[in-house]
Amino acid sequence: MRTVFAVVLTCVFAGLAQAADKPVAIVGATAYPLTESAAKIDNATIVLRDGRVESVQAGGAVPEDAERIDAKGAIVTPGLVSAATQLGTVEMLSAEETVDRQVKTGPLGAAFDVQYALNPNSVLLRHARADGVTRALSFPAGTGNAPFAGQAALLRLGDGPDLLDRAKAAMFVQAGGAYAKEAGGSRSAQWILLRSALDEAKQYRTYPRPGPARDQLLNHLDADALQPVLEGKMPLAVMAQRESDIREAVKLGEAYGLHVVVIGGAEAWRAADLLAARNVPVIVDPTANLPMSFDEIGARPDNAALLQRAGVRIAFYVPGNTLMLSYNVGSAMREAAGLAVANGLPYVEALRALTRNPATIWGQQERYGTLAPGREADLVVWDGDPLEPGSAPLQVFVQGKRVNLATRQDALRDRYRARPDAVLPPGYR
Amino acid sequence: MQLRPIFALVLIALAGTAAARDEGPRPRREKITLPFTADPYPSTYRPLPGTDTVITGATLFDGKGGRLDDASIRLRDGKIVAVGPASNVTLPPGVTVIDAHGRYVTPGIIDIHSHDGTYVAPLTSTDAKTGDVTEESDPNTANVWVEHAVQPQDPSFSRALAAGVTTIQVLPGSGNLFGGRSVILKPVSAVTVQAMKFPGAPVGLKMACGDNPKNAGKFPTSRMGEVAGMREAFIKADAYRTKWEHAARDGKEPPERDLKLDTLAGVLRGEIRVHIHCYRSADLAVMLDLAGEFGYRVAAFHHAAEAYKVADLLRARGTCAAVWSDWWGWKMEANDAIRAGAALLEAAGVCVTMHSDSPILGQRLNLEAAKAMAAGRRAGIDIAPERAMRWLSSNPAKAMGLDDRIGTLEAGKNADVVIWSGDPFSVYSKADQVYIDGALVFDRNDPRRQPTPDFEVGQPAREALQ
Repeated sequence: MRTVFAVVLTCVFAGLAQAADKPVAIVGATAYPLTESAAKIDNATIVLRDGRVESVQAGGAVPEDAERIDAKGAIVTPGLVSAATQLGTVEMLSAEETVDRQVKTGPLGAAFDVQYALNPNSVLLRHARADGVTRALSFPAGTGNAPFAGQAALLRLGDGPDLLDRAKAAMFVQAGGAYAKEAGGSRSAQWILLRSALDEAKQYRTYPRPGPARDQLLNHLDADALQPVLEGKMPLAVMAQRESDIREAVKLGEAYGLHVVVIGGAEAWRAADLLAARNVPVIVDPTANLPMSFDEIGARPDNAALLQRAGVRIAFYVPGNTLMLSYNVGSAMREAAGLAVANGLPYVEALRALTRNPATIWGQQERYGTLAPGREADLVVWDGDPLEPGSAPLQVFVQGKRVNLATRQDALRDRYRARPDAVLPPGYR
Repeated sequence: MQLRPIFALVLIALAGTAAARDEGPRPRREKITLPFTADPYPSTYRPLPGTDTVITGATLFDGKGGRLDDASIRLRDGKIVAVGPASNVTLPPGVTVIDAHGRYVTPGIIDIHSHDGTYVAPLTSTDAKTGDVTEESDPNTANVWVEHAVQPQDPSFSRALAAGVTTIQVLPGSGNLFGGRSVILKPVSAVTVQAMKFPGAPVGLKMACGDNPKNAGKFPTSRMGEVAGMREAFIKADAYRTKWEHAARDGKEPPERDLKLDTLAGVLRGEIRVHIHCYRSADLAVMLDLAGEFGYRVAAFHHAAEAYKVADLLRARGTCAAVWSDWWGWKMEANDAIRAGAALLEAAGVCVTMHSDSPILGQRLNLEAAKAMAAGRRAGIDIAPERAMRWLSSNPAKAMGLDDRIGTLEAGKNADVVIWSGDPFSVYSKADQVYIDGALVFDRNDPRRQPTPDFEVGQPAREALQ
């Protein structure tokens, strides 16, 4: 009996797996492939096969073997790529045993790496995905070895346990007033320590361990971790808001030949031409329009628009007192994009800043971020304008597979909605 | 100096404008004026000069749940004097006419829960050590008045104004059981808090239950301790109130003034409205029973994450729920907040209001409502935008006891009006013009009508690039 049941189950699962692998054709949508040749295609047919985008064509034919999805009136975009989050390492901020985003003490600095802490069963992931997020960078919040926060990982928000998309996607450092305390009390110390660390890491290549005795601040773990940064293979993400720190970050990148990315950048508009000339992307928060600190006196709501106009590659992040880095990643970034448009950013550029730009900033532009043929098939079918906070995905595909959009909030909602004829309490629903 | 009692009572009689007006439980005994809601720090607010204005052609959400297309509204002498179809509102000579075709007109947005002016921008390390949001010295600080801490030049006020917010209730923080008295402000440019105070607005008391007030000091350390602390305080306040009432009735010397008991006795007399920071359904129900035990009403639960689980209870007690659309999860008591919460509450007939708790979110309460509305729609609860408008206007006005003056676009109400560039629930829309008491206090197209906070003046980091 038990065996028969198991066999039936196996067949069901095999059937499901087969169904998931069947090509999909999404028909009649307004598509935003966001490629160089096609920003927008009306009445598009989008074909997904073997986990990749096969084609996006106006009025394109539906392959015979494909499952047809009628998406007339819907909008299709690439899956959203959240440029900077703390998904996967935070469950409940108030309960430290559920938070793995940082280390407060211990030897780890640059060597801290969030990849081993990622929790694919986090309810926060489902929530982000139900708002259209298919990939996200999860970055570390800090270490006991300032100014290093450590190494970020890219996440893939599909179903199943394979949350890690790419480990060691970026090295994060913190600069500015809010973090100066950890470096001794001056932001100057942050830059000195960072330069010193890069110098030592460089020497470390020519004096492999065990090296000659020398005056050394960097331990071997951190020195190892910094090698890809020095080789230009790993972006150095500098969290900075004040104009002077942003300019220091650019200088540092020049001096050491690094790929610098600015995170925050409240005053980045003041250095827009420099950032564009040096090809330094900025991940901005379009909701930041208040001088919440002395580093953000120049904060203004059209920061994103000014940067984009100057030729800077932008993406969005919305820390929201660090809450939104974890809890409402998808809705926060979409709302932020909408606000950026309301403050002068062209619509298609806002969509790019949600998809293609973050994929490019983190080196994944050949894999996802657009609907170019051959890209991994991450896409969202929306019930309305994705930048309107009231809109939501109807369907989300990650690597060609339709994913489950139900969240814990949906389950609670359905439990507690009014049911006048119910006999048993909500706990039985 | 302690005022002599008789003199104090006379003063109160002269100043006594803020007595509770509506739903609150009537004093059980004869009406006696006591000093509990006297205001020795009275409003000096004066509306800016306004003109006789007709806004015409707009789509109007009246704040009561109604919608009128091609509407006109006339503002004169600080009040709304007429609202109706454009064809019905006359355009007398000399009146300023604003063409609002293709735009939307709504009541000014009301934020029932803000810390603007106390959670200031910039928030420096000094504020982190000893800030002005919460007086942390005792679990019961019913004696403090948050207005005594407000920095009127906080840039958050001018940002809120530019976002269409015309009334803000500033509350003390949630670190104690009784946080102190709230103040209701107009986010107008001012250098004293008195010049922002909503004249004659009811007084509010901030209370807090749950996780926050049990973390501060020696007592309380548990939810049980919290409720015990509240009950003990109200027992004392009840005795205090009785002594005062008897003394007034018998013409005898009243008891010595006690600022904490003043506030709590004001609550028991129905003169001070109670606003409770409270998340969990179980805590909400206990707070309602506590109110029943001592005979006061709870005006609103704030951050009421699980209010949707006890919607029937809130409706029965006439208590409003002030909610976010989707802040959730960062602590256990916020773990069950859901985006459809406001919609479920609305469907159950509960008075729902959006609230901010944040100077950033406080600029987008309209989008908070948009998210909650959409989450409702997806759950099969269709709430029209003109009904959701109540969450930002008449419902918070009701919870704050100001629904006779603000929150709807009706003749006789204060002329707090916003003209939006488009649908007020769209991310792309902006407040084009904002009127408070009939005066144009913000105009997006006119830099001379955009107040700048002192902090932002002369800052090189804000200067336009050459």
